[in-house]
Amino acid sequence: MLLSAIERAKLLEPIKKLEFPTLKSALVIGGGIAGMQTAVDLADLGFEVNLIEKEPFLGGLAARAGRFFPTDDCAICIQSPASDVKTITHTSRKCVYRSGFSEIQNLNILTNSRVVAIEGAPGEYKVTIEKKPRYVNELKCVACDLCTAVCPVEAPDEYNAKLKKRKAIYINLPNVHPPVYTIDGNICKFQDCAKCVKVCPTKAIELGQKSERITLNVGSIIVATGFEEFDSSVIKEYHYDDYPDVITNLELARMIDGFGPTSGEVIRPSNRKPAKKIVFIQCVGSRDRRWNEHCSSICCMISLKHAMLIKSAFPEADVAICYIDIRTTGREHEDYYERAREMGIKFIKGRPTEITRDSETGKLIVDVEDALLHRFLEVDADLVVLAPAMIPSEGTKELAQIGLEPLLDEDGFFKEYNAKLRPTETTLKGLYICGGATFPKDAPTTSLHAHSAALKAAKFMNNGKIIKDQRTAIIDEEYCGDCTFCPVTCPYGAITIVPTNEEHSVARVSDLMCEGCGICVGTCPLNAIELRHSRPNQMLAQMKALMSINGTSKPLVLAICCSECGGTAVDSSGMAMMQYPANVRVMKVPCTGILQVHQFLEAFKAGAQGVMVVACKSDGCHYEMGSQNAEKKVELARVLLKEYGIEPERLEMFNLVFIEGDKFAEAARNMTGKLEKMGSLQSMGGS
Amino acid sequence: MKHESKKEPSNLTFSEELRQKMLGETINLCYQCGTCASSCPVAKLDPRFNPREVIKLALLGEREEVLSSEAIWLCCSCFNCDERCPQRVAIALAIYALRNIAFKEGHIPKIYSEFASALSNDGRIVKISKFVEKKRPTLGLPSLKPTGVEALRKILSTTAFEKLQQKEGEK
Repeated sequence: MLLSAIERAKLLEPIKKLEFPTLKSALVIGGGIAGMQTAVDLADLGFEVNLIEKEPFLGGLAARAGRFFPTDDCAICIQSPASDVKTITHTSRKCVYRSGFSEIQNLNILTNSRVVAIEGAPGEYKVTIEKKPRYVNELKCVACDLCTAVCPVEAPDEYNAKLKKRKAIYINLPNVHPPVYTIDGNICKFQDCAKCVKVCPTKAIELGQKSERITLNVGSIIVATGFEEFDSSVIKEYHYDDYPDVITNLELARMIDGFGPTSGEVIRPSNRKPAKKIVFIQCVGSRDRRWNEHCSSICCMISLKHAMLIKSAFPEADVAICYIDIRTTGREHEDYYERAREMGIKFIKGRPTEITRDSETGKLIVDVEDALLHRFLEVDADLVVLAPAMIPSEGTKELAQIGLEPLLDEDGFFKEYNAKLRPTETTLKGLYICGGATFPKDAPTTSLHAHSAALKAAKFMNNGKIIKDQRTAIIDEEYCGDCTFCPVTCPYGAITIVPTNEEHSVARVSDLMCEGCGICVGTCPLNAIELRHSRPNQMLAQMKALMSINGTSKPLVLAICCSECGGTAVDSSGMAMMQYPANVRVMKVPCTGILQVHQFLEAFKAGAQGVMVVACKSDGCHYEMGSQNAEKKVELARVLLKEYGIEPERLEMFNLVFIEGDKFAEAARNMTGKLEKMGSLQSMGGS
Repeated sequence: MKHESKKEPSNLTFSEELRQKMLGETINLCYQCGTCASSCPVAKLDPRFNPREVIKLALLGEREEVLSSEAIWLCCSCFNCDERCPQRVAIALAIYALRNIAFKEGHIPKIYSEFASALSNDGRIVKISKFVEKKRPTLGLPSLKPTGVEALRKILSTTAFEKLQQKEGEK
């Protein structure tokens, strides 16, 4: 072991320290509760913050929810910022419009805006924003409402679940932010009408406004694009599109809201009469392998909250919830379930197969089996409320289209770097995620997430620079064949293909983004990539030294292990004083993803009778794909060994975690035993 | 390395046995939501059959109870349950598999064994009475031709049909 370390050390080279600048400004994408809280946190810490929202008003999905669980307070209530804002006390939570939020000097709020391009590198991102016209000057509008009185154009109000109409010039609620009217450009008649321009006392209406492009230079980006309701109409048997009295929880939330289109009354949209019998259906498109496999996690609580709000406002209402499992796992959540039962809300254990409608009375009939009663029920309902799955938002999909696709999981939500330890980071440095963009969440969890993302972003930008060892990959541009294997394989997006002066392109590594795992080294078909801290000649020298002396009577085995779980499993066998044979010699590499097929052959050539590759679990590789790539290399090498007349069993791969030291020791004993039975390998000298 | 073991069906759990019978389709994902039951036209009329309960019993490994029940023979194969199952459990297919196993092990409802013996004796699953034969011409129907029962028996003897019938005879 010592000898091998010496042989490697002879070939080592000094690793430089690198410095990269980071701008002390951030972009927060999405103005829901996650985005707003992250933005306030970062602004409080002194960073320049840009908060962008695609809708004309802040609040996101939360602003439509009316009330929140488990606090039962308004959805648009936020914590006042700690920054020194005149006339605002920062001790308590307040409605967004009076929170002082908009007066924070270093917080720039852009509504009606979306990201159209993200360029540059971590610390120095260049983001292009498209800001659509509002046609109303935000500084001049005093929200006097004279404009809506004269506006002749009406449209269904989508914010209010189309339960009422709004004018072409409108505001969602009187207490939203910004407290400024907006014009719907798709329906406004502009100069053909312009009645609002004439009545506006402050001359705030500017029909000539155009879309503008804004470029922002920011050090980090926080994605808070949230989630949205799944389109229930695809589940034909629930007739969401056909029957107006089948609605979703979000639509019901608008009815329950006192500011909403029905002033808090729960009605049947078909005839606008009060709904007395209300049936909820849970898991609509969630936990459903035909649509979304995940449990959306908050719908049980939303339905319980709504059922109770209805029941307390209209005690005579008959409310039933059809469920598969009721999930109330958060703090004070079970209390909701308990109170709901106490209030007399009915629970039916069964997922209905169909909703039908009596053509004469227009009443809905929910066809369900109560599994506990073993009875088929046809439950009459005035109103059926679906609890649809929560899925990635339109905003998330738009970001995927402009280059963030690799950061998404199979379900389309943003994927965290590590669910256990780094829930708000991504594999891209300087890009953070929070709130519903990663998975459906309740408000308390969203807040936690938002604060976490702000802290991570602040830490990243704090010094104004990143200091980093140049333990990175380097590409020999003369050999690079621009095959594009490496940029695709790199888990960190650190490799790009750039054109050179001559007529071809080469791959280039960003020293800032490279994590030094070496997966690209193992992938390159031309051996054009090396790691500065683990070059092939260093590895070969180490290998030869380990195989040079055999003080035992047993066959020499080379165990190549990664520096993460695989390596620590080997260490742990030693730490726990487990015995493994002395003929097994351990060599560490950064990640087994670095290994190339010829290196296995070199090990046998150097005198190994057997080779063990010890890596992380294939889905638990610390560098995402390294372990899986190594598995493929081992498979290929075994085929080659067979061709050379060497038993492929002499090469074996093990996927271990730290605590599996015993498994390593056992594998080492088994390998030794197996090799002893096979007998000595003829030298590969000639090959 | 993964070790593949080939166990005898008797050592498998019942749901695994079904998985083999159903070419890899599994009932294990069933979470008892009851969509199949409320979709089932038979279950609503006949309390002896409920697809959710058949699947639950199979999952609990109540092999004999499921195979000897009348329930599995009452499914009308409308496939409503398959269509609407949120876990994509092939319920109707599972019931076919259960019938296959039940039949093999001699759990054959009387009506089916009667059909079977009528088929090999007369070439028809229902015996034609003299009354029916006389009635046909008056309704403008042609008289029935002989069934060619020898040829049919030959076909049946090359399938497992005959063997299964013998099994039924032993019972």
